[in-house]
Amino acid sequence: MLDSHQSQLSENKIRSIKRYNSNDLVTAILFLSPVILFVSILIVFPVIGTGITSLYRDVSYLPKSFLGLDNYKALIFSPDFRASLVFTLIFTLFAVACETVLGLLFALLLNEEFRGRNVLRVVILIPWAIPTIVSAKVWKLIFEYSYGILNVIICGLGLSDEKINWLGTGVTSFWALLLAEVWKTTPFMILILLAGLQAIPRDLTMQARMDGAKPIRRLFTITLPLLRPVLLIALIFRTVDTLRIFDLVFVLTGGGPGGSTKTLSLLGYEFFGNDRFGMGSAISMITFLIALAITLLYLKVGGFAKQLGVKQ
Amino acid sequence: MKSQSRKFLRPVMRESLISWCLFPGTIILLLFTLLPFAWMLCISFFTRPDFFNGADSHFTFSNYWDVLSSDSLHFLDFVKNSLIISGLSALLSSLIAALAAYAVSRLHFRGRIVIPLAILAMSMFPQISIVGYLYQSFSSLGWINTYAALVLPYIALTVPLALWITLSYFMQIPLDLDKAALVDGAGRLKTLFKIILPIAAPGIFSGFLLVFIQCFNEFLFAILLTIDYHAQTLPVGIALFEGTHGEIPWGNLMAASTMASIPLILLALLFQRFIVSGLAGGAVKG
Repeated sequence: MLDSHQSQLSENKIRSIKRYNSNDLVTAILFLSPVILFVSILIVFPVIGTGITSLYRDVSYLPKSFLGLDNYKALIFSPDFRASLVFTLIFTLFAVACETVLGLLFALLLNEEFRGRNVLRVVILIPWAIPTIVSAKVWKLIFEYSYGILNVIICGLGLSDEKINWLGTGVTSFWALLLAEVWKTTPFMILILLAGLQAIPRDLTMQARMDGAKPIRRLFTITLPLLRPVLLIALIFRTVDTLRIFDLVFVLTGGGPGGSTKTLSLLGYEFFGNDRFGMGSAISMITFLIALAITLLYLKVGGFAKQLGVKQ
Repeated sequence: MKSQSRKFLRPVMRESLISWCLFPGTIILLLFTLLPFAWMLCISFFTRPDFFNGADSHFTFSNYWDVLSSDSLHFLDFVKNSLIISGLSALLSSLIAALAAYAVSRLHFRGRIVIPLAILAMSMFPQISIVGYLYQSFSSLGWINTYAALVLPYIALTVPLALWITLSYFMQIPLDLDKAALVDGAGRLKTLFKIILPIAAPGIFSGFLLVFIQCFNEFLFAILLTIDYHAQTLPVGIALFEGTHGEIPWGNLMAASTMASIPLILLALLFQRFIVSGLAGGAVKG
């Protein structure tokens, strides 16, 4: 990612700066120390601390004692944890897939020139800007059983004879959460993919068009391959972000009904809330490791390392 | 023959597939994004949320008045807390990021490339793997339910994004510009504040906006590290908003939600250019 900038700073430029910078290292340390202090004290330290705590029995009512990997073992055999893990992974898969497909379609749409395009580009910022908690409350009202507008519309159109208890069953809660999540996060996807699309030279697609390539074919042979680096970054950001989803679930379903929509973050939060820090930390570490594994997987599948190598 | 005519005609007109998709696509996107928002606004002006069932519900401003005037809701306290916490975090985060971006883009030292990448990688940690430990540490420090308990982690959480955006702007500023100032004897800090910052102001500003919005919307830290209206932020206030009679007061809740969203929506609409360039800069240029 940084390599393009790096190449801008050509060798001789770097050499010419060097002359003015006998004490660059001291200045660099001074200028970088606030960032490094903040990040290490408030992110790196806590993550290491969480890793250590996850090896202990750390509950408020008993003395702390070392357990090794017992917390992890207990989690693996716990049906609650397994249900939560499966739910989080499936939800992430569905949400990221929907966001990506919708985001790509709408980005392609907004990349065309038509009247009102600029207005539309501004309007899609609204779901992105609304606090997640607020959108969760609004969706809760929309999904409300007796007077929620969704049930009114569905019954009004005759799509269903009776009202659907959206937040009352596990399956419908899943779809409700998915809709609310996709609504909130698709704009981010659209904006990023749109920026990626605009970086693709028009000549390339025009040329293909002159040669008789149809839109669908152009999309798969030219646009998508060129969009890959941007798509990859957007996918990583969205996947990591969805894996740790908390606020939307907290408000919309509270993890219910019957724990069927409890994400890993929500489960971890409950353990922390009950002063069971050892178990909570173990869940947090597992969430972290999954996020890391998926990021590495994306990078490998996306051929990101190879690309960096080619550029340099 | 067919392909011949296509070759000549198509470049002039928009292809039929695309033009067919354009209108329905636009309408769907518009409805999809606006309907929930419109519904929130609508309910916030009615006495009951089920007016379409023929219930006795009518247009009113009283929801807004209730939320603003109620002493027990502490809505204005939440607004104040959110503004102070997000504003302070965004300001400090931008400042710290600017210092670091200057070092990375202007100074020659080993690890110049590694440091911003390592810092960016920090934003990949799930918040849940940080917050439990912070809760324990802040408890023993007695910081729970203070502004510091949120501002400090927010700076750390947002500084990777701010650094990335700022850096992408600093990289575009020609090195000769500040070199001249250095030769004239200006110090590093002076060069940064007098020359680089004014030129990179749009970049710093888009970083500031994105960080501000991110902090304003943050929930997990806010709910775990605060206890009451002395430090709770708006999202926490709204999430825990419950009626006194058991039934959810949807009108009041939607009025509070609308008031919580309007400042952010205004920021997003007014500074659309900065936000889009910041978001895109993070992914496309970065």
